[in-house]
Amino acid sequence: MTPMNGPATSLTGQTGAAPRRTLLTLLATQIELRMSLVVVAVMAVLSLISPYFLTLNNMLNLLSQSVVVGLLALGQTLVILIGGIDLSVGSLVGVTGIVLGLSLHHVPMPAAFLFCLAAGAAAGLVNGLIITYGRVAAFVVTLGMMSVGRSLAYVLSGANSISGLPAGLGALSADSLFDIPVDFLVLIACYALCWWFLNHTKGGRTLYALGSNAEAARVAGLRIGTWSVLAYVISGLMSGVAAIFMASRILSIDPIGGQGLELDAIAAVVIGGASLFGGRGSIIGTLFGVFVMLFIRNGLNLLNVSPYWQGTAIGSVIIVAVLAERLLSGARRRG
Amino acid sequence: MALLELRDIWKRFGVTQALSGAAFDLRAGEIHALVGANGAGKSTLSRIISGHIRPDSGEILLNGTRLRHTGARDAIRAGITMVTQETSLAPDLSVLENIMLPRIAMPGRLDWRALRRQAQALIGEIGQSEVLRPDMPVSELSIGQRQLVEILKALALDSRIIIFDEPTAALSPHEAEQLFGLMRSLATRGHGLIFVSHRLEEIFAVTDRVTVLREGRIVASGLATETLQQGELVRLMVGRELQDIYDRGGRSRWRTDGAVILRVSHLSCPPMVRDVSFEVRAGEVLGLAGLVGAGRSETIETIFGLRQPVSGTIELDGKPFRARSPRDAVRAGIGLIPEDRRGQAIVPDFSVRENLLLAHLGARSAVTLGYGMRGAAVRALLERLELPERRLLDANMLNFSGGMQQKVILARGLVLAPRLLLLDEPTRGVDIGTRSSIYAMLRRIADEGVACVVVSSDFEEVIGVSDRIAVLSDGASVAELPAELIDIEKLGMFAAPRSSAEKTHTVLGELVARYGGTAYWMAAEGGRLFCFDRVGDDPSADPGFVTGGFPEIAATAIAHAVGAPAGALHRAADGARPTLLVPISGKRGHSLGIVGLTFGQAPADFDAAAVTQHILAALGERRDAPNETRIEA
Repeated sequence: MTPMNGPATSLTGQTGAAPRRTLLTLLATQIELRMSLVVVAVMAVLSLISPYFLTLNNMLNLLSQSVVVGLLALGQTLVILIGGIDLSVGSLVGVTGIVLGLSLHHVPMPAAFLFCLAAGAAAGLVNGLIITYGRVAAFVVTLGMMSVGRSLAYVLSGANSISGLPAGLGALSADSLFDIPVDFLVLIACYALCWWFLNHTKGGRTLYALGSNAEAARVAGLRIGTWSVLAYVISGLMSGVAAIFMASRILSIDPIGGQGLELDAIAAVVIGGASLFGGRGSIIGTLFGVFVMLFIRNGLNLLNVSPYWQGTAIGSVIIVAVLAERLLSGARRRG
Repeated sequence: MALLELRDIWKRFGVTQALSGAAFDLRAGEIHALVGANGAGKSTLSRIISGHIRPDSGEILLNGTRLRHTGARDAIRAGITMVTQETSLAPDLSVLENIMLPRIAMPGRLDWRALRRQAQALIGEIGQSEVLRPDMPVSELSIGQRQLVEILKALALDSRIIIFDEPTAALSPHEAEQLFGLMRSLATRGHGLIFVSHRLEEIFAVTDRVTVLREGRIVASGLATETLQQGELVRLMVGRELQDIYDRGGRSRWRTDGAVILRVSHLSCPPMVRDVSFEVRAGEVLGLAGLVGAGRSETIETIFGLRQPVSGTIELDGKPFRARSPRDAVRAGIGLIPEDRRGQAIVPDFSVRENLLLAHLGARSAVTLGYGMRGAAVRALLERLELPERRLLDANMLNFSGGMQQKVILARGLVLAPRLLLLDEPTRGVDIGTRSSIYAMLRRIADEGVACVVVSSDFEEVIGVSDRIAVLSDGASVAELPAELIDIEKLGMFAAPRSSAEKTHTVLGELVARYGGTAYWMAAEGGRLFCFDRVGDDPSADPGFVTGGFPEIAATAIAHAVGAPAGALHRAADGARPTLLVPISGKRGHSLGIVGLTFGQAPADFDAAAVTQHILAALGERRDAPNETRIEA
């Protein structure tokens, strides 16, 4: 064969090898498939251990619990996809919650929602601008914003929790449609929208390209600066959304609200198969990640495991998940 | 007995079989060339020797005992070091610290005074005491000097075997000569040297034996260099005649009929781009030639909006154009095939399809993807590039060979049907088969009316593939001329960094200051004259050409002196333009061009013989009796 046909030959080699697609390579390439198997496995194990786990009550309870962390994990997914991280989301839930509570005492509910969301988005904008154009590490900037957010929550609220919220607010999490809680339906709607955004819009693909190889994305003419900032804006905005649903559930707003949730959100994203180096991950995977975490925590509660031990369990799951991800992506690279 | 022997080495990367049963042997005291076209496996083989890669199977014997190194550190301990082009030096440390770095990494107290003494001794051994001082930070050294530091590092480790991987790519001709001298003296002292290169003239200049690789196989093993002919070596490397891959199918090369698509005037984007001007017409391939560091990549990156110019103008289709970001350039119909495929082009987590459509995404203003609208264009392109569509589109880019990846990136640039295509080193890391299909593709694109600019460090490639060539040197364009008029040697002289041409420039300046008139450095060949540099603007002494000019000799004002015996003043028939031409030769007798002086009126005290001797003493490395030389055209 002449050298001219060299590349074609190597491609034929690829063609011949392709039909022997093993389960491993399929699992390695499809995050969603992998995650759904994990979720099913966790559910199966937990329902065998505890008869209460698979009851309607427990399930509805879990759906409601997934909303706040699910919303934060959605924003976090976008940020992690571009190779960043947002540590401020938990404290932004605190400060946007306070903004919501204070506004509710003065303006009608929709306007209060708007203020709350605007506060979250503005904080995200500050994060995004400094990280993108100031070229400061995302870890540092959002760590600073985490501190600022929590502090502002105390300052604005005078370190008091806000109660006496309008009854209408509670309807957001109390109502249900076809027996499914409305807040969970909102969460699913957000994830569906995000899925469409990530897979079928230019902005979504830009986020992936940006995380995978920012320089290549720039050379190809994509607006990487704009989209990098927007990822953080969306993450901040989702903190505001989460604050609204959190307030509607407990009908009281505390400046300490949302503390530690950033770690839950990051954990859900990572368990969901996203790479902290960016470029790889899926929003469906994140949703599964949220549930794996909730299920395990719920299962441990049902089994009466001491809350002191639960951190060890969740932490181990995170580490094992990332380790598995590394091994599998190694298998894919070699494949 | 062989110092080093490799037997039956196999190595596979993904779907690419990089080496198939390769064998190699190295004797003490020799310089052994490892040659092959891009992608032949020579880098893989040398990286296996240096321990950077482990072979899938095969044996490595050092002094007859089996070597089982598991990494570069083990190889270094066994006395094998690689001197790479992308240096492994720590730029913020001093020369001394870099040379002694492996020692510093060992446990125990350091005797800095002893280390300094040793380093001084080593620097002295290679004759660099005047230039390299132990306390200089490496970041302040030139690329050539950094290579010297790497060699010193190898010597400090007492390495018996040193691998030089394309060491001259970034060196000026003078620095390369120096390196070759050093290599010879290392070989004389019993070191075994492996020299990886694809530059034939270097292989003939410095090596004792040659091993040729082609597509991962050894096609010639340990041939004595002196018994080889160039043509034979080329046939071994590529499996056919070299001209074939640049075959242009009767296409005329020098076109002036197309409309000017891009005109760059006095573009400046410091520090790399200082004063660059050239133009490209529709249907034309313009080569941007020059040495590494001449500012070629930076020039096209500035046009494409990856860098912002400080001064100068860019015109696209006759209208001023300035790209503030690559997005502007993409939308204006400019495509870029960047130099660093892995760093600037491939999105590793995307499928081939999305990689191919990335520039489409960049140009699109709607919210949605609109991949569907490019379906037909993608299919047509894949067919033209001989890429099978079915299996390709969903696959991961990284599983393909460099050539295949480059074709996809080329297709990315073409999906948008650009009017101007900028290609930066389009065949780097690409196998020879794909190279010729990339060349063919390039010519077809140009024939369809696209203006193409090709940057290449490979002089042979840039001459072979271009219609015209613009030569850059130290950030400035020094010449723009038809490719068919130039050869590798003259291109080398045009491209010589101004720092090494500075000596010539200084001499020209001195001559003009002392005697008046104009002085110039040029070459004459094929009835044309190529002017590399000119000093002096006395109109009565105008030789009829300027720097970068390439007029027919008959059309210049010094035609009477060309062909006449050198070393004497010659006047034209009407007694005007007295001219002295002095040919300069390098050490090995190769031509370094001609230095000339032209006057309106020769000064009374002008002694042609003495001036000739002065020029030769200042610039020539071989002092022939000039009267016996004739300037041939």
